[in-house]
Amino acid sequence: MRIDLFGDTLCAQVTAAALAQSGHRVNWYLPTGRVDQALRDQGRVLYQEPGLAELVAQQRDAGRLRCLGFNEQGDAPAPVVFLALQPGTFDQARAVVDRVAAGSACRLLVNQSTFPVGSSEKLQARLIKAGVDTPVACLPDTLQEGMALQTFTRPNHILLGCNDDAAEVLIREILRPYNRRRDVIQVMQPREAEFAKLAISGMLATRLSYMNDMALLAEALGVDIDMIRQGMGSDPRIGEAYLYAGCGFGGPGFSSDVMSLTDTLRDKRISAELLSDVLRINERQKEVLFRKFWRHFDGDVKGRRVTLWGAAFKPNTDRIDNGPALSLIEALWAQDVDVHVHDPLAMPELQRWANGHGELTCHDDPYQAVRGSDALMVVTEWKAYWSPDWDDLHAAMRTPLILDGRNIFDPDYVRGHGFDYQGIGRGQRRPARPSK
Amino acid sequence: MDFPRHDTDTARAAHQALREHAQQTGERHLAALFEDDAQRFERLSRSGCGLLADISKQRLTTETLSLLSELARARGLQSWIECLFKGEDVNWTEQRPAMHWRLRDTKDRAPDVHAQLARMERMVDRILRGQWRGCEGDAITDVVNVGVGGSDLGPLMASFALSEQRPPRGHRPRVHFVSSMDGSQVAPLLQELNPATTLIVVSSKSFTTVDTLTNAATARGWLEREMPGRNGAVLRCHFVGISAQPERMSRWGIHEDNQLQFWEWVGGRYSLWSAIGLPIALTIGMQGFRELLAGAHDMDRHFQDTPWQDNLPVMMGLVDVWNLNFLNITARAVLPYDGRLKHLPSYVEQLEMESNGKSVTRAGENVTHHTCPVIWGEVGPNAQHAFYQLLHQGTQPVACEFIVAARHDRLNADGSEFKQLEDQHQLTLANCLAQSRLLALGEHALPADLELPAFKRYRGNQPSTTLMLDELSPRHLGSLLALYEHKVFVQAVLWGINPFDQWGVEMGKVIATDMIQVLESGQGGDNLDASSRALAERARRLNQD
Repeated sequence: MRIDLFGDTLCAQVTAAALAQSGHRVNWYLPTGRVDQALRDQGRVLYQEPGLAELVAQQRDAGRLRCLGFNEQGDAPAPVVFLALQPGTFDQARAVVDRVAAGSACRLLVNQSTFPVGSSEKLQARLIKAGVDTPVACLPDTLQEGMALQTFTRPNHILLGCNDDAAEVLIREILRPYNRRRDVIQVMQPREAEFAKLAISGMLATRLSYMNDMALLAEALGVDIDMIRQGMGSDPRIGEAYLYAGCGFGGPGFSSDVMSLTDTLRDKRISAELLSDVLRINERQKEVLFRKFWRHFDGDVKGRRVTLWGAAFKPNTDRIDNGPALSLIEALWAQDVDVHVHDPLAMPELQRWANGHGELTCHDDPYQAVRGSDALMVVTEWKAYWSPDWDDLHAAMRTPLILDGRNIFDPDYVRGHGFDYQGIGRGQRRPARPSK
Repeated sequence: MDFPRHDTDTARAAHQALREHAQQTGERHLAALFEDDAQRFERLSRSGCGLLADISKQRLTTETLSLLSELARARGLQSWIECLFKGEDVNWTEQRPAMHWRLRDTKDRAPDVHAQLARMERMVDRILRGQWRGCEGDAITDVVNVGVGGSDLGPLMASFALSEQRPPRGHRPRVHFVSSMDGSQVAPLLQELNPATTLIVVSSKSFTTVDTLTNAATARGWLEREMPGRNGAVLRCHFVGISAQPERMSRWGIHEDNQLQFWEWVGGRYSLWSAIGLPIALTIGMQGFRELLAGAHDMDRHFQDTPWQDNLPVMMGLVDVWNLNFLNITARAVLPYDGRLKHLPSYVEQLEMESNGKSVTRAGENVTHHTCPVIWGEVGPNAQHAFYQLLHQGTQPVACEFIVAARHDRLNADGSEFKQLEDQHQLTLANCLAQSRLLALGEHALPADLELPAFKRYRGNQPSTTLMLDELSPRHLGSLLALYEHKVFVQAVLWGINPFDQWGVEMGKVIATDMIQVLESGQGGDNLDASSRALAERARRLNQD
């Protein structure tokens, strides 16, 4: 089938590559700008995700994936159009809808963009007003960054907002290769699908902020939050996911989903107290490593040197949007601290963000990065950080202080190697039996 | 340079001429004055720096103003203004200049001032960006200004007046003011605050003011109790000091990085333009604070460069002298018709009465005329329900000062929700104009055929000045306050007194120290007068029970 896909989100890229891989001929329209140029002229990709770059290159070579500018015209208008636009760009969605309405070849419009609840129905209404009866379905973006391709091709669940039988048949056909083991598609009204997607994000965020509050208590009580997490997670009513205390969540999607949900609640004059607190706690949490650093030195930090391991908001991505690394670096800058960073993937993104903003030294080698440092902050749980060479690390640092924002180390083991160690919610446990 | 002599033959002659003029014309009713001259407003209103001063409702004519100018000339006002701006020791009892105007001068002429402004800006920026950290590493959310007198009234008044304006970037902290020595402000405030996110600003020119230091000590005790064992981080992270005495700040424990300085040549009641204005800058942003300074600088230029007949501080100073010394009106009411200027009356009370509540001339002689009138005030519409009765039907003549903004900024926004507020602004303006009219004209403002019993009658002829600001912006407020400052100086020159000292408030501090001993031990009371001894004894007894 021929498919036209509009947008430059991660979801757009994954959808384009995956649909091309399963045999569709995809015209991928990108907004003019930096990313578009990077992709088309230098063959680079928009998002760093496992397997994604290779797949895009492969599909382009095979001729099934073409990248075009937003206002270019492909060979002929396709019967199915996907929209995977950035949040807050509803104007662009309207422009595509007008284009579809003018074309008359389109049999289905699929909206994957994260817009406020009710947006897919607004697009539908616009089409009807233009005298076109093309149905609009909503297929919310539920990809997990860091494993985006996998969550698209082997989904655990698919939310589909659709109230047109013919459209449902068509979209089921398109999704068939990813829906084989068992039918994971849940069909509902478009606004229900949009709402459900935001509600999922809100719930996950709430769990994280809850755990971060519990982590504060754990520190005060001298217990390790990890024991509490295991105890909670084994209760089937709760389950194990999203119970990790840490230095705050970020990313382009997750936090903007929660903000969008908060705005929607306020729009309807429902106070968004819980979600506001969730976001507030998260903002506080993004600075938790800074506060630990500050307290360790009793506020006397001017001129000290700090190293961040990890800048991406999660492993296997180069995205830094809304991540804790940014809040930390700003806080450190403000206190005239010398900031050094290592990240396997996100250094170019970070450098771009820091330009004209403040001084920051980027390193290719994590041990080089900690040389002469007064603290190491672990911000992203990249696999390569889990088992460092403790002796080298100790020799390199000026002050052996480890601030573990992802609780990836064993506190006792690290302390045994001569480090001061602080994690998130990892109070110093008392020995099992008091020694006599 | 020699200062002009106060008491000269020309001055006596000018004074005598005014006295005769007052005898001939002083009792003329304002209604008649308006009737006489259709151009009265044009002749007797002045504008500059975004302000209009209408003195046509004062009991005077253009002839009065020229006679007053004669007196000012004879008192050497022109030379005095030059001396002020040359940095001569116009504060002769303390042998130093009064250069508050320098706090708003340009960078090339006042590099030391701008260096402190830059320090202040870094501090403000850090707080607004949420990057000033308490000792636990949290961003500061609340700032407590601990100060009294000039270190309280000016910053409080201006912060409150301008708080509708927000810093363009960042998140402004809540700013609180603590001044009273009895702890009645500081104690309940601290109960509400989170110690980890509170910053204390200790403001004292001398850094010896007992009111301020006891409040600061209470705050320090609270923080150290709540956050023990921080190796000095409490002082380093939670205290800023603002003073002309850096060594005393250091001795008290203010970290050097957290000190802002001003200078001996700034009087306390003239200090809101210095780092003492930190709460203002935190409320409206540093850019807004610089606008405030720019407005004051506009007025400094206006005062120096404008011919007297159009010079706002000169004209207003002369009017006050006329009312007090020639019409014998010994009270003045300051009546802002704007809730944002709620604290302006107390600010003006201090500025004028602490400056000009004096009675000895430079020659060391007692003055032979009144100096500063008794000044009090209140937000006008509220005062209408309080003391306006006295203004309208009492026996005391009172000169009134109406202050009002022609526009209220928020009104320029669209939307029906603003309509109501716009109506409220109109209503307030209407009341302001109606009151000054009724006070001036009395029954002449009412329909001619109205028959009233005696107790309902309005005598009128209460003089007033209306100060109309284009709007209450930082710049216009700066101009307004500098207008008051310079007006005070003009009056002091005409009265022959030093407006920049305050010896009258020193001795009370000293004898209070002795009284503490009497209260604590009962010792030393024998030398007291019977009243003080009995009161001290009674308080001591009740405290022991």
